[in-house]
Amino acid sequence: MSLPPVGLAHYLAVAVLLFAMGLFAVVTRRHAIGVLLGIELMLNAASINLVAFNRFGPLVTVKPGAGVDMADGQIFALMVIALAACEAAVGLAIILRLYQTLATVEPDDADRMRW
Amino acid sequence: MNLVQYYGLTAEQWLEYVGFLGTAGVALVSGLGVLFARRVLHAAVWLLFCLLGVAGLFALMGAHVLFGVQILVYAGAIAVMIIFAVLLLERATGRGILSGNRHLFAGVVSAGAFVVVMAPTLGVALWAAGWPSQTAPTTGQTNVALIGRLFLTRHLLAFELMSVVLLVAMIGAIVLARAERRSDAEEAPEAQGGGAAHVPTEEARPS
Repeated sequence: MSLPPVGLAHYLAVAVLLFAMGLFAVVTRRHAIGVLLGIELMLNAASINLVAFNRFGPLVTVKPGAGVDMADGQIFALMVIALAACEAAVGLAIILRLYQTLATVEPDDADRMRW
Repeated sequence: MNLVQYYGLTAEQWLEYVGFLGTAGVALVSGLGVLFARRVLHAAVWLLFCLLGVAGLFALMGAHVLFGVQILVYAGAIAVMIIFAVLLLERATGRGILSGNRHLFAGVVSAGAFVVVMAPTLGVALWAAGWPSQTAPTTGQTNVALIGRLFLTRHLLAFELMSVVLLVAMIGAIVLARAERRSDAEEAPEAQGGGAAHVPTEEARPS
């Protein structure tokens, strides 16, 4: 019996589970900050995918032995982190404002624009 | 190279396995903490550990810059900012913020549907690709030098645009989060009048 070495499949499995957890948190959490935490989980799952495909993906193995450094996936992941910082700052500001104006932090209660 | 192999893996690959299982376990278990912690503050702290686990995964994949940035920016800045915001909200409301889970059925259906759709898709795609575990050939450049060079050559425009986006987001967050302008204007005349009335007495007291 032989085990496969740690490869693309392992990292993608972790990313799928992490994304599903984030989705679950976004749908079920009662508090707006809990929803924000779920979004952070999903962004992290996406970053894991980007870096894993950068390391193991067909893009870089297309020319074996060519010795080309490819780090576009890691650059993408860095962009994701920077955008996550923006998203967290603006999201927290919106939550604080929501509390000031409606005195609630539950997304289900902020339904003034519901049709 | 003739290395001793256990179950078809060299000692180095076993070490990689152990590291992978450890960091992935930390990330997933803390992810469950984010989902189900009663207090929002505890969920935010669980998120901190989850981010550190993901940083470990980055390090295992040889993305050293991302490992550092994940710890510095994500765990050190974003997660701590969220924790600060939770503490501020707790001060504003005067009690610990609890957060249950509602719409459990919808959550289970959506997350379960995601896994059910993604797992066979990925399985088939990876099977077709032959379960890739080979790493890409490199020219021997360190990861730090590579990322720095790429940011200042091929991805320069995205790099500069990102700084503009960050600036706009910070200004937007400040504008959104600060207290209302109208209440400032209402309080200002009273504060001036009160100040003018109090200044003589305050100056008279020490002399």
